[in-house]
Amino acid sequence: MFFDKYRKKDEGTIRYYDLYSRKHRILAVLIFAVCIGMVIIALFPAVWVFLASFKDNAEFRKEATILPAAFNIENYIKTWNDLKFFKYYFNSFAVVLGSVISSIIFNGLLAYGLAILRPKGYKVIFTLVMWGLLIPATTSVVALFVNINRIGLNQSFLPLWLSMGANAFFVVLFKQFFEGLPKELIEAAKLDGCGVLRTFISIILPLSKPIVMVITIFTINAAWSDFLLPFLVLNGSGHETVMVRLFLFRTSNATDVEVLRAVAFSIIPPIILFLIFQKQITEGTTAGAIKG
Amino acid sequence: MKAVSNKKLGISKKDISGWLIMLPTIILFAFFVWEPLGESVRLSLYTAKGIRLQEFVGLDNYALVLNHPDFLAAFKNTFTYILWSLIIGFFTPIIMAVLITETVHFKGLFKIGVYFPNIMPGMAMVMMWGFFFRPGDTGVLNILLSKLGIESMEWLTNPKLTIPLIIATMTWKGAGSTALIYMAGINGINPELYEAATLDGAGIRQRVRFITLPNIFSLGKTLLILQVITVFQILYEPLVMTNGGPNNRSISIMQLVFNYAFRDYNYPAAAALSVMICIVLVILSAFYFKLTKSKED
Repeated sequence: MFFDKYRKKDEGTIRYYDLYSRKHRILAVLIFAVCIGMVIIALFPAVWVFLASFKDNAEFRKEATILPAAFNIENYIKTWNDLKFFKYYFNSFAVVLGSVISSIIFNGLLAYGLAILRPKGYKVIFTLVMWGLLIPATTSVVALFVNINRIGLNQSFLPLWLSMGANAFFVVLFKQFFEGLPKELIEAAKLDGCGVLRTFISIILPLSKPIVMVITIFTINAAWSDFLLPFLVLNGSGHETVMVRLFLFRTSNATDVEVLRAVAFSIIPPIILFLIFQKQITEGTTAGAIKG
Repeated sequence: MKAVSNKKLGISKKDISGWLIMLPTIILFAFFVWEPLGESVRLSLYTAKGIRLQEFVGLDNYALVLNHPDFLAAFKNTFTYILWSLIIGFFTPIIMAVLITETVHFKGLFKIGVYFPNIMPGMAMVMMWGFFFRPGDTGVLNILLSKLGIESMEWLTNPKLTIPLIIATMTWKGAGSTALIYMAGINGINPELYEAATLDGAGIRQRVRFITLPNIFSLGKTLLILQVITVFQILYEPLVMTNGGPNNRSISIMQLVFNYAFRDYNYPAAAALSVMICIVLVILSAFYFKLTKSKED
């Protein structure tokens, strides 16, 4: 039964004919077991966060158990209210929403120029963008922070939104997709007197739904998870995001269980997003890496 | 007439509209990516009061940063981080990819399962692992150990284990997505190669050794450099999990930048350190480009 499915296997090393040997059958079962183990290791920590956050503080500090004594959702709601988490969720959602819009428009427009319009000298820009892909933002974050302060954009969401519009990885993903679009449609639009911007909005974007989807999902996750720039821009402004709030626990007198529940709150949205869009997320990762 | 003169210049209306379309994003890239690199250099050559530049001091900030005892610790740690990330972080995804490729049941579930940690926000992840590594009976790993009848361990407060454990958590987060990339590479190998090798009498181990691994070698080189670039900038883990301790044994260079800038408000010193990191990253990136270029040829 277990080995029947190997008849159709045509990827990797082991083939059905290998399994005539008992040694190889054991190997196949062993590999299967190890893979189950890997998935458990991958999932357990997040599962534990939810299990342990149902404990109360005394139980958490004294009882050396994995499972809580009781599942009481009211504790969760109390912590949500005590920590005013609605506010941080709201701020994070505001950052995410603006980031998605900016990410699609700006990265999309640049990729449109690089992949389709190709004005004279566009290669210089492409090279500069590729270098930006490899010299990550963290190294210049101090100078960026100083610049943002100089033009008075600190304590606002604006720099966070706009920074997602300058993402080299997204530009490359868009560019690859646009290059695969049928040229005839774009030519036809031009002959119909469609301006370059109109072509982008009414021809290119509607044809590019799959990649827009992938970049939207990636941007949501990146904007939700980002810490350093939101911390520098928003700390002390009263508009802190969820991740900034998590960091501030380092110097607060919150109890362990409260911190743990806050961690749980912060991972719920990415988990929901992943459960819905697992296919796009996993495929987007490999597509970007193999071709980029 | 006009069209002719434009042609002479080599600039057409099409070029102008193309540049106009790209202009807003180019401005954003300039502000968020390119200009800060130049600004880092300028900032590093001055003294400053807050964000206001005072006077030109040449390379004094570099000397200050390099002579600080923390720098030597961070510099040494960087190599330890890279070493451990080669041992733990580089091979784990390759092994995972090879194993998952060999399964036929629940393969989709395996792929999604191992990818899952990658969607965890970095800050949430490091706080979560802090609970796992907590010394004493209520640390999660110690609970698990006690179930197996093993004594509690110190985990992060044991200086010998600090960096390997930090790398382990990074690997936990990143290995699954890297494994998917390797799997895509393995799936791209022509199946006939395996069949021909089998006819020649190659066993499973030999097929992995002489077909699978050589075929993902160039992918591995590329991912290795990306990994070193990532580890070079490690920040959240030492910042939140250990605060650089015990006794500076896990402090990272990016953490020094963070401390200079946002704890001491010494932006020029932070910028000087950033510039030096940047130079190293540029060199590594040049290697990366060379590798990917030769792959395409």
